Amino acid sequence: MRILQTHKSRIPDAPATGSSINQVDWDLLWERFGTAVVTITIWLIAGLSTPRFANVDNFVSVLRQSAFVGVSAVGMTFAIIAGTFDLSVGSTQALCAWGAVSVAKVAGVFPAFVTAVALGGVIGLCNGSLVALVRIPAFIATLGTMFLVNGLTYILTNGQTARFSGKPFVWWGNAQVMSLPVPFVVFLGCALLGAAILHRTSFGRFIYAIGCSREAANVAGVPVAKTTILVFIVVGLFTGLGAALLGARLYSAGPGLEPGFELNVIATVVLGGTRLAGGRGSMLGTVAAAILFATLANVLNLSHVDAFVQRVVVGFVLLLALSVEGVRQRLAEYWSKRAARIPQSSQPL
Amino acid sequence: MNARKPRRHRVASSQVGLMLLMVAGVFAVLSPRFLTPGNLLNVCTSASVVAIVGLGMTLAIASGNFDLSVGSTAAFAGCVTVSLVQQIGVALAILAGLATGAAVGLINGLIVTELGVPAFIATLGMLTIVRGAALIYTGGRDIYLYGQTQYKILSSGLTPVLLALALAFVLWFVLQHTRFGRHILATGSNAMSARRVGVRTSLVLLGVFSIVGATAALSGLILSAQVLTGNGRLATGLELSAIAVVVLGGTPLTGGQASIAGTLQGSVLVAVINNGLNLLNVSIFYQNVTLGLLLLGTIALEALRTDRRRTKQLTTR
Repeated sequence: MRILQTHKSRIPDAPATGSSINQVDWDLLWERFGTAVVTITIWLIAGLSTPRFANVDNFVSVLRQSAFVGVSAVGMTFAIIAGTFDLSVGSTQALCAWGAVSVAKVAGVFPAFVTAVALGGVIGLCNGSLVALVRIPAFIATLGTMFLVNGLTYILTNGQTARFSGKPFVWWGNAQVMSLPVPFVVFLGCALLGAAILHRTSFGRFIYAIGCSREAANVAGVPVAKTTILVFIVVGLFTGLGAALLGARLYSAGPGLEPGFELNVIATVVLGGTRLAGGRGSMLGTVAAAILFATLANVLNLSHVDAFVQRVVVGFVLLLALSVEGVRQRLAEYWSKRAARIPQSSQPL
Repeated sequence: MNARKPRRHRVASSQVGLMLLMVAGVFAVLSPRFLTPGNLLNVCTSASVVAIVGLGMTLAIASGNFDLSVGSTAAFAGCVTVSLVQQIGVALAILAGLATGAAVGLINGLIVTELGVPAFIATLGMLTIVRGAALIYTGGRDIYLYGQTQYKILSSGLTPVLLALALAFVLWFVLQHTRFGRHILATGSNAMSARRVGVRTSLVLLGVFSIVGATAALSGLILSAQVLTGNGRLATGLELSAIAVVVLGGTPLTGGQASIAGTLQGSVLVAVINNGLNLLNVSIFYQNVTLGLLLLGTIALEALRTDRRRTKQLTTR
């Protein structure tokens, strides 16, 4: 039975053959498309109830807003599928954004983005080495680098915000291409690239393998340490890119840019259906979840909901979305127990 | 359950103690003001605020869980208490604050045990919700307590230190000498087997989360008593410092082991370093850097040592 279920969960389109298998099917459907469905539902409700929601300008602003958390979340999806995560992205973002803005001031746009991405990559390399080579648990290692990078940013910036409003630089945060906001286009590009890496390369397969079982992956010859380091570098690279976009959007950046950013990013990835335990997850979910959070904030703003109440709502959405799976499992357990009590209804294999 | 501590974590715990002595010695030499009674009291007070949450967190980590919502819970409980002091008196208000914390903890526990949400996510969601609740409750403004000297008792003199020590003793006793304590460690080392041998892990976790909530509330009360103000933004980031202190103290994140003494020493160590850097006129920006380096350094040493022991075992076998 158990084997059948796991087997089934790999083939989403296979026809359902029994009542208890249907449970698994629903779970999988929810995992794959739940976030997208919820996002669209919220769009419909908001469009009907809030007159100012359904217009092009507002959509553009929602999509743009989703990109800043989203780009970093693309990287974080890699980490969470691999069964680790990175708490240092908030500090990394502040440092990279500051780096981008200050370099843009003196050297132009391209060096600015390179600086941000490279800074992110270096921090990712540190995280990865600590986790994979020194074997510190990811939680502690990235907690440590979080404090470290945060302090470093304050020291480097002396607590000051860097400002720059040169046209070519802020274009990346504020302009539109074919009526789509530039940051969102970059975000989509990142997501596509991420999905391609996850599903079309051996590196991607290694990530899923490590997330399912480190031990098994190691025994099967997956270079676990190398892959883990690369995963953290990927997180850093994407975070650096997102940070540069945010710096461009805000015309400025400094320490303490977005407090709680790391938890927002992790929440986005997890809401997108990626299992925190690792081994399962997809880019589509992450994109949908990033848009969902941005939509939620936008709708609440448009309906004059107090900023404090907004936090509560966001927390509730996160908990609601994530308890669906647990409640379903509970119900499935209950049903299978009831089925076991009645001998006739036992499942024919 | 064998009550004897495994060797590894005894080592970690004494390591923190040693480091504490060394750091304190260095600061005593460098700054004449470090060893004055007034300054030591300052160090102990700021250490005990983190230590109290850290002690609760030790229990949570020993049971194989986290609680990321403690900072928000501390703020919320502080606001509730401060707002109630005028109406129902200090003692009842403090009780109400602690009850608020325990209730938040209980909700955390219910989400984890009944809805099957991993503790990391459940308490992450609650972090946002409770912080929002605290801000809604205060309307984003400060609640001042003018002339309420009675409430100030909570934070003045040796009270925070005594509270922390008393709490440490109680939790140590619970862990070492009660069935509940053994069940916590059993749940943390392997929840599935604990359930198989008849431990009611859901109840254990509900208890643990409630205790964590109450300890978070207690440090929130002390913080709010220090400034005689209820503020919804109090104790931001407390969750991560609390976890850092527990980890420094040698409690492994894998669960099943707890070092109460280690957590106390870890929080004193962090407080000593912050205080010493202040006395030496080092910019406050460096405090985070040192905390990060300290955390990484300690754990790296620990990880490398267990690694070497593991390879040695393998080769001798």
